[in-house]
Amino acid sequence: MVDKIIQKHLPLTEATYYILLALVTPKHGYAVMQDAEEISQGTIRLAPGTLYGAFTTLENNGLISMVDKEGRRKIYQITETGIRVLLGQIQRMEIMLQSAAMNFDLWQERTTEEKQDV
Amino acid sequence: MSNQLVTKRKWFWAWHDEKEEAWLAEMAQQGLILEDIPFPGSYQFKLGEPANYVYRLDYQSLKTKDKESYLQLFSDAGWENVGEMGGWMYFRIRANNGDAPEIFSDLESKIGKYQRVLTFLIIFLPLSVVLMPNLINAADRYGPFVSILAGLNYLLMILYAIGVFQLIRRISQLKKTG
Repeated sequence: MVDKIIQKHLPLTEATYYILLALVTPKHGYAVMQDAEEISQGTIRLAPGTLYGAFTTLENNGLISMVDKEGRRKIYQITETGIRVLLGQIQRMEIMLQSAAMNFDLWQERTTEEKQDV
Repeated sequence: MSNQLVTKRKWFWAWHDEKEEAWLAEMAQQGLILEDIPFPGSYQFKLGEPANYVYRLDYQSLKTKDKESYLQLFSDAGWENVGEMGGWMYFRIRANNGDAPEIFSDLESKIGKYQRVLTFLIIFLPLSVVLMPNLINAADRYGPFVSILAGLNYLLMILYAIGVFQLIRRISQLKKTG
């Protein structure tokens, strides 16, 4: 289902995953840093050197592109290819979760408990 | 407010960037706040109150238009750009009680910095090697002045080689231990 061009970018690192997710709507670098921290519930904190490098790589690979400039800040957005890569990644993660639900009893117990708590 | 400037001279080896960061933080604790690096090896400090700063170095060779947004991103994230020396970018941030903020949040991007320095050295090493036999030939013909140049180039070759070796060692260390 996922073609080869998409496949070669997968799996994404956790940081790249959240950067792409944040760039579903156009943002400048610092907004991506803040957004990634928020949507990852604090599990990802991107430092500026790392984010700058990631932007360069993602732009060179055609997964994001610069859409605007706000003063000295470049505004990036995910591209069509980027969206397909992101969807491919989410599908992989879904398979990972399903595999745990089917094969790992400790996880099965935990998710049942959580359902009961609710 | 005192505006007294203190200049210190010191050599900086490319593979000692972490020592450089620690040295600048130590200076700040003595009230010497880095103001500028007017030329390589010369550090200008402003004499002030002792302060807790964390210094971090990145290595970049950016075009002017990319440098703007690069510096803006660091500044948005709270990092002040305090100087630049041959591709090395000096950043600092105020630190509270023992905090050690980083400009790289993963290993891969930290290794990336050393790889950029390495690429730079590897480009210049062959140039120096190619120049060598020419300089030796010329020294035979033109005498002592060219001999000195040949000697300097020889020294440079050795330094480049040491740099390449040290950087490769640093990268493999990081890959092993993180």
